[in-house]
Amino acid sequence: MLYSKETYKLQQEFTRWCRTGEEIHLENTRPEGLKQYRRLLRNNINNTMKQAFPIAVSILSEKEWATLIDDFFAGHDAQTFQVWKLPFEFYQFVSKQSYGITFKKPYLSDLLHFEWIEIDVHTMPDQIPEPFKKKGDPKKDRIEVNKEYRLIKLNFPVHLYAAEESKNHTGNYFLLAYRHPDNFEVRFVDLPALHTLFFEKIAQEGKSVQEILKEIGEASSPELMPEIEKNISKFVETMFDQKIFLGYQHIYKN
Amino acid sequence: MVKEDINIGLGFRREIAGNFLEEGGLHPDFIEVAPENWIDMGGYWGDVFKKVTDKYPLILHGLSLSIGSPEEPDWAFLKKVKQFIKDYHVAVYSDHLTFAKMDNAHLYDLLPIPFREDAVKHVVQRIKEVQDFLERPLTLENASYYTSVAAEMTEQQFISSIVEESGCNLLLDVNNVYVNAFNHKYDAREFIDAMPLGRVTYIHMAGHYKIQPDLIIDTHGEAIIDPVFDLFDYTIEKMAPVPVLLERDFNFPEMEELKTEMDKLRTICKKNWTSDVVQQGNI
Repeated sequence: MLYSKETYKLQQEFTRWCRTGEEIHLENTRPEGLKQYRRLLRNNINNTMKQAFPIAVSILSEKEWATLIDDFFAGHDAQTFQVWKLPFEFYQFVSKQSYGITFKKPYLSDLLHFEWIEIDVHTMPDQIPEPFKKKGDPKKDRIEVNKEYRLIKLNFPVHLYAAEESKNHTGNYFLLAYRHPDNFEVRFVDLPALHTLFFEKIAQEGKSVQEILKEIGEASSPELMPEIEKNISKFVETMFDQKIFLGYQHIYKN
Repeated sequence: MVKEDINIGLGFRREIAGNFLEEGGLHPDFIEVAPENWIDMGGYWGDVFKKVTDKYPLILHGLSLSIGSPEEPDWAFLKKVKQFIKDYHVAVYSDHLTFAKMDNAHLYDLLPIPFREDAVKHVVQRIKEVQDFLERPLTLENASYYTSVAAEMTEQQFISSIVEESGCNLLLDVNNVYVNAFNHKYDAREFIDAMPLGRVTYIHMAGHYKIQPDLIIDTHGEAIIDPVFDLFDYTIEKMAPVPVLLERDFNFPEMEELKTEMDKLRTICKKNWTSDVVQQGNI
């Protein structure tokens, strides 16, 4: 760095003012101009978050929202060079600082997460699937999964109920958000725990339905298995209909 | 060489994206985007971006280079920019003569670098490092600013020194010259005369908003006013042809109004650039 200590300090004080509004005395500056920077920078952050989290904005009071924006801008060192990805850092910041508890809105973190994944899935880089067959055996063949998805766990079902109402239905909810390959639409699927287990093993471990059933069978009562198999068969069919499952992987033999 | 090829571009923005692809829509000679808004973009907007970049030449005008930051350049970011330039056959990569990151925090706006000798040295070194990495010259814009910070030299001296010592090109934003001249009470034409016009490879034109009787904000959300068109005319008469961009970032009018503004820019360019001149700014 070839800045003098004095110039470096000037830049630090200037940016500190922009982020916090704490009074500073910078020589040879125009106070009215200085104010514009804080206004413009804060507006950028505020507008980005308002656009990303319309539901959260609507359920928080103006004062609560302003607190989040001010605290985030002053206290969080933004890491992404892409401002449209900043809402993820905002979600993380709000969760870590437990604002949901402070505001007596314990669902706040889940709500921000829910709103963020829609953006995340909508914008995520294209994930080209491996070549796959359209026909196959849904039980025995390995399934090619649409890779443009996020699977998150929520304690408050903000995807099913209004935010305040979600407080009355706490539990373990698994939400799959994926991008439909035909029209790029982001769609949400609420997955029961059993389906989440199957989905993860198929999508992340590349296992066939038969292999997963075998694993489950070894740990479950035999009399439960027919019902589980029937249930999973229907689940797999639905996942194909929704284009979360795309087809069947080719098996290459040496 | 007779100059026939005048290039008038328009910023590609999501709000007006459809107009770039439709019959009878907007048909600029090139488009400009901020790479930060499109790097790693997939899905619907990635698809639109591919279509529009298949149709139009692309110039990049970044926001996050932060050439005036005290910290090291963000090499991971620049690596992505370099690949993006390659993927989309980008003719010009430009950014601002400002800083937008401090103490390891992005600020997402353009802050003025103190006009000081040590800042010149620092920025020149950074420009050289970035140019070496990208293997191409940088094109940096004279920014609008609402206050200088403990300046020890004029803005003209600051810009000229950096351009001369670093070997970078200058993106001359004529509206910014107008805005700064108004806000800081200097003569815009004298400022233009003091610029290294031979190093200008790209021009921006835009609208602005007067928020107080003595303060203009560079918004890119209004139509270009006549005095800025006049300053543009004054400027390009002294220059070889370069691409010219109409910047409009929000508050979009009817497309006919944007077309009229681009036509007006083209008319002024034709008036000044149809004589025998050496072309330096083809894209």
